[in-house]
Amino acid sequence: MTCPYRNEDRIDVLLDYSAGRLDAARVNLLERHMMECSQCAEFRAGQQQVWQAMDEYLAPLPSADFNRGVWRKIDAAAADPWYRNLGRVVRDGAWKPVFPMAAAVLLVAAGFVFDHRNASSAVPTVTVAEANQVQNTLEDLQLLQNLDASEAEVAEPIL
Amino acid sequence: MGASPALDAALTLDQDAQLMLRVKDGDNDSFRLLLEKHRAPVVRFVYRMVRDQAVSEELGQEVFLRIYRSRATYEPAAKFTTWLFRIASHLALNWLRDGRNERARNVSMEVREEGAPVREFPDRGPSVEDAMVREVRLEEIRGAIAQLPEKQRAAVLMHKYEEMEYSQIAGALGCSESAVKSLLFRAYETLRARLAHLTSLNQTGFEKRGAA
Repeated sequence: MTCPYRNEDRIDVLLDYSAGRLDAARVNLLERHMMECSQCAEFRAGQQQVWQAMDEYLAPLPSADFNRGVWRKIDAAAADPWYRNLGRVVRDGAWKPVFPMAAAVLLVAAGFVFDHRNASSAVPTVTVAEANQVQNTLEDLQLLQNLDASEAEVAEPIL
Repeated sequence: MGASPALDAALTLDQDAQLMLRVKDGDNDSFRLLLEKHRAPVVRFVYRMVRDQAVSEELGQEVFLRIYRSRATYEPAAKFTTWLFRIASHLALNWLRDGRNERARNVSMEVREEGAPVREFPDRGPSVEDAMVREVRLEEIRGAIAQLPEKQRAAVLMHKYEEMEYSQIAGALGCSESAVKSLLFRAYETLRARLAHLTSLNQTGFEKRGAA
């Protein structure tokens, strides 16, 4: 059977135990459990080894000049021109709506350009009724021409 | 009584948030206090993320610059350290993702020699061979942590060295508490596997050192 402590949601209990951050009541409960659960006992041993090893990993302290460096940066930022400060605000994401806003503006602009291009390059459309009307007119003209020709033949018989 | 709602919220939060609200009101002495209190944890964290002392110092200063620049819009919505480490992890992760991590790895050995804290060994302590063995072991530990995926590494460093709560780590990394537990679960699994061959430090004869 799988131990209830050996899953991602409950792992904090074992981690807190290894870190000595668990209250006494839970420590007792867990230690009783570990007497019977080899998985958790093994976890404890492995975790303690990792933590002991990690204790060895020291990191340097800030230099004596650290604070002066911070104030230098603050003074330099204050002296920067407005557009640099604006750039920093955008880069730092201090004005959070900037990216969604920019995306929205781009989208609207792209839509406008696309729509405008379509409108300017559109070919005038002709309806079926209009086409039929033109066709009928042409046929009528043809008929009249034929009629004129036949009348001329009647009026001037071939000699 | 008569304090602003933001200040009331800060009183229930932490002393750092109160200091930050004073910074917001133009009190630079409060900023100096915050700087003095938190610069070491920030630089330590960034150093273990990027493994470069000069970069950790530079990014650490950038963290406090951003804190100062954001003072006007500060609201004590969460613990001050959560906000602080959110900025620190953001900068460290960005630096790593910028591709400069390759350069850091190349120079890390040199930088460590120059920049690592002075390790004092007692006169009758470990011999040169012992010191070399110890350095190799330390390099294995550093390497095992450095090889973790960036978010797992940040979560482990905040959990182990800064003793931050799961909710704080979640706030700093911009994810849920259960996601943090998942990150830690996987990270420690990996570390246990990678460091399993290391025997107990006490067995090697080195004196036990406290957490950084």
